[in-house]
Amino acid sequence: MNKFQYFLEYYNGEPLIIQLVWMVSCFLFLTVIILIIYLKFLRVRLRENEKITEKYTKDYELLLITYLYAETDENGVSLERQSVINELEKGIENTFKRKIIVATFLKLGNEITGEMAESIHHLYSQTKLKKYALSKLKNRNWYIIARGIRELTLFHVKDAHDQVVKHVNHSRREVRKEVQLYLVNLFHFEGLNFLDDLQTPLSEWDQIQLLEELQKMEDQQIPDISLWLKSTNKYVVIFALKLAEIYNQFGMKDVLIELISHKDKKVRLELIPVLSHLHVIEAKEIFKNNFNESSKDEQIEFFKLLENLIEPSDEPFIIEHIYNENFEVKYSALKLLKVLNTTKFENLELTPPESDFVKIVEFIKNY
Amino acid sequence: MDTSTINIILLIFHYLFFIYTVSVIISYIVLAFFSIVETLEYQKKNRFVNYKEILSSSISPSISIIAPAYNESLNIIENVRSLLSNHYANYDVIIVNDGSKDDSLEKLIKSYSLVKVDYLVNEQIPTKPLREGIFKSTNPAFEKLIVVDKENGGKSDALNMGLNLSESQYTACIDVDCLLLEDALQKMIKPFLELTEVQVIATGGVIRIANACTIKDGKLLDVDMPKSMLERAQILEYIRSFLLGRMAWSRLNGLLVISGAFGMFDKKIAIEIGGYDTNTVGEDMEIIVRMRRHMEEEKRKYKVAYIPDPLCWTEAPDNYKIFTSQRNRWTRGTIEVLRKHRKIALNPKYKSLGLVSFPFWFIFERMAPIIEVVGIIYFCVLMYLKALRWDYAFVFFISAYLFTVVFSLVAILSEEQTYHQYKKKGTGIKLIITSLIEPFIFHPFVLYAAIRGNFDYIFNKKKKWGVMTRKGLSKKEAV
Repeated sequence: MNKFQYFLEYYNGEPLIIQLVWMVSCFLFLTVIILIIYLKFLRVRLRENEKITEKYTKDYELLLITYLYAETDENGVSLERQSVINELEKGIENTFKRKIIVATFLKLGNEITGEMAESIHHLYSQTKLKKYALSKLKNRNWYIIARGIRELTLFHVKDAHDQVVKHVNHSRREVRKEVQLYLVNLFHFEGLNFLDDLQTPLSEWDQIQLLEELQKMEDQQIPDISLWLKSTNKYVVIFALKLAEIYNQFGMKDVLIELISHKDKKVRLELIPVLSHLHVIEAKEIFKNNFNESSKDEQIEFFKLLENLIEPSDEPFIIEHIYNENFEVKYSALKLLKVLNTTKFENLELTPPESDFVKIVEFIKNY
Repeated sequence: MDTSTINIILLIFHYLFFIYTVSVIISYIVLAFFSIVETLEYQKKNRFVNYKEILSSSISPSISIIAPAYNESLNIIENVRSLLSNHYANYDVIIVNDGSKDDSLEKLIKSYSLVKVDYLVNEQIPTKPLREGIFKSTNPAFEKLIVVDKENGGKSDALNMGLNLSESQYTACIDVDCLLLEDALQKMIKPFLELTEVQVIATGGVIRIANACTIKDGKLLDVDMPKSMLERAQILEYIRSFLLGRMAWSRLNGLLVISGAFGMFDKKIAIEIGGYDTNTVGEDMEIIVRMRRHMEEEKRKYKVAYIPDPLCWTEAPDNYKIFTSQRNRWTRGTIEVLRKHRKIALNPKYKSLGLVSFPFWFIFERMAPIIEVVGIIYFCVLMYLKALRWDYAFVFFISAYLFTVVFSLVAILSEEQTYHQYKKKGTGIKLIITSLIEPFIFHPFVLYAAIRGNFDYIFNKKKKWGVMTRKGLSKKEAV
């Protein structure tokens, strides 16, 4: 007690700044103690959660397998199935268990296909899981909405369409992406209608996800993409260009030619490989006429197009560019010259010896 | 000098140290806050991301992994195999044998059935010439592999050779002895493809320490805590630096450094700025600063992104000699970069880069060891002058120590709540003990290395890279 009083007297006699540092030290000391205890508690909890999760996952997997292999009457109902549903319903009431049940559903859903997958989707709709997923759509937090939509997508809940599309122009990119994936996954090409009036960007990442989903579909009947190619949203145009290439949209030739003069460089750059792929020979002359005004990237892309669509009439243009200052253009031009006129290529003057030009010619000769 | 003058000088010193200490503490608290915000956001955003599509997509952008190798004969075969095992559709691996004096090339030729090929190199960045040439495998299983044998020019020169050779849109520059997790490329490419409003010019990844971990066939099987305190302290230091420091700078779009052990770049920008600087030992920081400077000068919107997932595991020094040599180099690198780009400092033209990130690095990274040493000298002077108030010194010391411990514990907490990599029973307490004793047994060596770095920078300009003796990750295979 005396020591404490002595300390108090000492403390009171010190300048304010020292008193403050003592207070900070005491606060930090308490923080250290609290953090150590909390860390200990957290690690124990995490370990226990892992164990419990593992146990419940096994239990629910077993229940789902029982459900899938249960004998059923003509309506798909049986006592065994009903008891599984009842068991699941009990678990669903608890948030922690519900997360495990959903994860187990997803895991199993990814491993099975056909009728069994449909049974899992049916079971999902029969339980309260669907109700919980739908309630997530009304949540204030964007990540819960996104999670809800993801769940509805994975369990093919088509009747949630109207509630899901409400979020098509959500301020968060992640939610918009989930809505787009929901539409494409469940409604296939028809789901792409959201592109008609999409005002927000569609990132490269989103485009890859959508295209991969579309390519998994059995029905490959692509709708008319001309509206999207003419969209004022450059991301929609770029996505439509990818569709045109993957689904060989030869009928879009005229719309594609119009895009050569698009104001956005990225669109023009994406367009050139598509024109090349679809053999739009008419585009060549337009590019040749605009060549000097084009950016370096566009010039390189155009020469790649020429490598695919080369004709003897292109020779004068090619010769004009065999000394182009850009390495890629020069390399392409020389390669094309060798194809069009080997004699002329063989007789090129190789000076100065250390130049890129000579290096490229020598390389192509040995190629 | 009369007594009053000495008193005034001492008073000025008092206040300077006090202001510096308070600003360090405040800046660390602010960084911790931003780091927590960014971590939570990252977790929410990426909890349910499906990476499967990018993995299999034929239109996923191309990536070149560039790995320079110098005398890596011991582990090069296993390390290359690990790099070739990445789960990504469209990538190649360029191993640049930078004039190794050992049998790295022979081993690679034999193990991967390599043959010399004609390869047209667009030498956009000048490099040392090729030695044996460029090799590709005759075995279709290794078609992604390109091996380049060139004259020795250092790490930067080797990376530049890789940039010249790469035909991909993006390049992942990595130390050949690092272990990349299979999904590393999928995760690192995401920011480049995801952001539309700004151009992502580089992505940095977290580096974790693999000492004592179990690795087999290029796969991480088990994470454990090493026995030596030096290695443990480095684990804690990496957690603190990558999960608190860099995460916060990522939030503020102020990252000045991406670890040379693993980073991904937009190749076009990297070439536009002339690739890696061969005249610095801090090439990883230098290229980021120069890329950012270039983007600011061009008035282009950009971001240096950061992925906190533990994707890259490396071997940390396990003895003090190699450790101080490594830290000495890091210090010299930082000084060289800050000096080279001093034009950025406090220059409003460079916005937050010039007004926040750069000054922060100068004051709290570059100057920190010097100020600490001046503080120790000042402490000794006060003792000599019998002007030291031991009770004041004690309370200041205690609060500084406790703050350091709190910061480390917050870092551990962040690690536990996010990635929880150290799951084994007992590792938690080991990390806590490390955070309590690290300021006494680890920090002095960090300070010593930094001071040596400053000394070598001024008086030993010829000093370049030290030698890092590696035991090899594959030595830690499960029995």
